[in-house]
Amino acid sequence: MFGSMAESTGILEGLLHPSLYVKTAWGVILFLAIVSFLGTRNMEKVPRGLQNILEMAVEGLYNFIGGIVGEKKAPKYFPFIATFFLFILISNYVGLLPFSGHEGPYIPPTSTISVTAALAIIVFFAIHVFGISEKGLGYFKHFITPFVFMLPLNILEQLVRPLSLSMRLYGNIYGHELVVGTFMGLVPMLIPVVFNLLGVLTGAIQAIVFTLLTSSYIGEAVHDEHH
Amino acid sequence: MSLVAGLIAIGAGIAVGFGAVGSGIGQGIAAGKAFEAMARQPEVRGTVQTFLIIALAFMETLTIYGLVIAFMLLGKM
Repeated sequence: MFGSMAESTGILEGLLHPSLYVKTAWGVILFLAIVSFLGTRNMEKVPRGLQNILEMAVEGLYNFIGGIVGEKKAPKYFPFIATFFLFILISNYVGLLPFSGHEGPYIPPTSTISVTAALAIIVFFAIHVFGISEKGLGYFKHFITPFVFMLPLNILEQLVRPLSLSMRLYGNIYGHELVVGTFMGLVPMLIPVVFNLLGVLTGAIQAIVFTLLTSSYIGEAVHDEHH
Repeated sequence: MSLVAGLIAIGAGIAVGFGAVGSGIGQGIAAGKAFEAMARQPEVRGTVQTFLIIALAFMETLTIYGLVIAFMLLGKM
């Protein structure tokens, strides 16, 4: 795991020779951009076809995230959080395509700790930046709200969050790749298909859990206490 | 194989093995309660199903922590 981190030790090295994970991530971004473009040209009031599917997805995500962040803050933070969901979902499903693997033309970007840690670090900074932008410096009061001695516990909790987010996603997706790879060596006939079906389920569940936790943390950081 | 490689293998096995015990029991209890709730009141099926899946993902995380430690250990073998 840390071997892949050691391979690209410099940012310049990483920019000149992007790894397969980075190239596949670009592919995911391109796929999402193309689907969005195709679905939103010639938009009609009564949607049909691709535009209908995209509207279903956007509405479903908006209700899901709005239910956690709250109706008032939902429009502001919905695009940010929904992007995480879409990127993670499509990245997880790259692993189910044929020829995906560390020597193939593509590999799920979320099967390396580098990508999942990057996502988790973005979420970590986003939580605090959103909190400060909503509440000013009074945001830091909630660290010492019930009792002052809660401060170290709260700081520890804040630091553990990106750790658990990244490890959960990485472990699930890389573990899936590892198990399917092992079974391709043992019983290549039917078992990998069963595991790929399970992969459809776990890919979606991990995207949902990441999005749910992100929106829960952001909701907690930006909610007003005067109910 | 050297002693270090053997100990690494044992450590990786224990990491995943013991990690799975608690999560397995917890997920079994959660699923059992969910089935009970759905049997008593069939109309809550959709809501219970969603929350059950999310709760299972949280419990699964603890096993995944053990799995990641096993990956790290095997990487050093």
